[in-house]
Amino acid sequence: MSAAGDRDPAGAVFEALADPMRRRLLQTISTSPSTATELAGELPISRQAVAKHLTALSQAGLLQRERSGRDVRYHVTPAPLSQAVSWMADVGGQWDERLSRLAALGDRHRERPRH
Amino acid sequence: MTDLIERELSLPGTPAQLWPALTDPEWLRSWLADDVALELRPGGEARFRFGDELREGWVEEVTPPAPGSRPGTTGRLCFWWQAADDSASRVSLELVADRDGTTLRVVEARPLAVLDLVGLPMPGDAAGGVRYGPALIAA
Repeated sequence: MSAAGDRDPAGAVFEALADPMRRRLLQTISTSPSTATELAGELPISRQAVAKHLTALSQAGLLQRERSGRDVRYHVTPAPLSQAVSWMADVGGQWDERLSRLAALGDRHRERPRH
Repeated sequence: MTDLIERELSLPGTPAQLWPALTDPEWLRSWLADDVALELRPGGEARFRFGDELREGWVEEVTPPAPGSRPGTTGRLCFWWQAADDSASRVSLELVADRDGTTLRVVEARPLAVLDLVGLPMPGDAAGGVRYGPALIAA
């Protein structure tokens, strides 16, 4: 049974994770729960942009908000799905890094063939 | 349940020219991991080092591409790897010739539930091990 207007949870998850910055945010938060201000300090984007990404990740059910004093701290949702999701964020991020190194090699290869 | 990552990268050159990027330890060290030892045959050993982290596994498939740039020409390397306290996953690296050069397609998949129960299929009984991987992927 689902109320009208319910979103497809898996669809929302993958939409939320399609953005590399959101995957990076999720990875950071999975290591240590953080506030939007702390995240903005660590990443090359504004606090406003961080807040927008955090809303998208929360709506997809990937993050939970916890109020501590005046701050809101974000945690990765402790559910089986979130394990799969953090694996995907982690492994996806690793391949992004590896492939950007390979792309740089490819460019060098094109300029000065080795063989 | 299978967790799966897919990535694609366009590269200049033909699959045969790019094959060393997937198989030559020197190339592999410059992009894949800090240290790579691959025994290039089905059932062969695979070892990777990322900083302090070691991953061990085995090679499932080695299919070098045919020479030339005919679209569809394909080379494929598949291996399994596993860090000490993590579940195993299967990596497939595929070079496919297209009109502009070559596309490298990366798929890393973790067939969670089954693998966590049975552990990493080992190449000990090589034929069994090699059949095992794809069957789990399909599960």
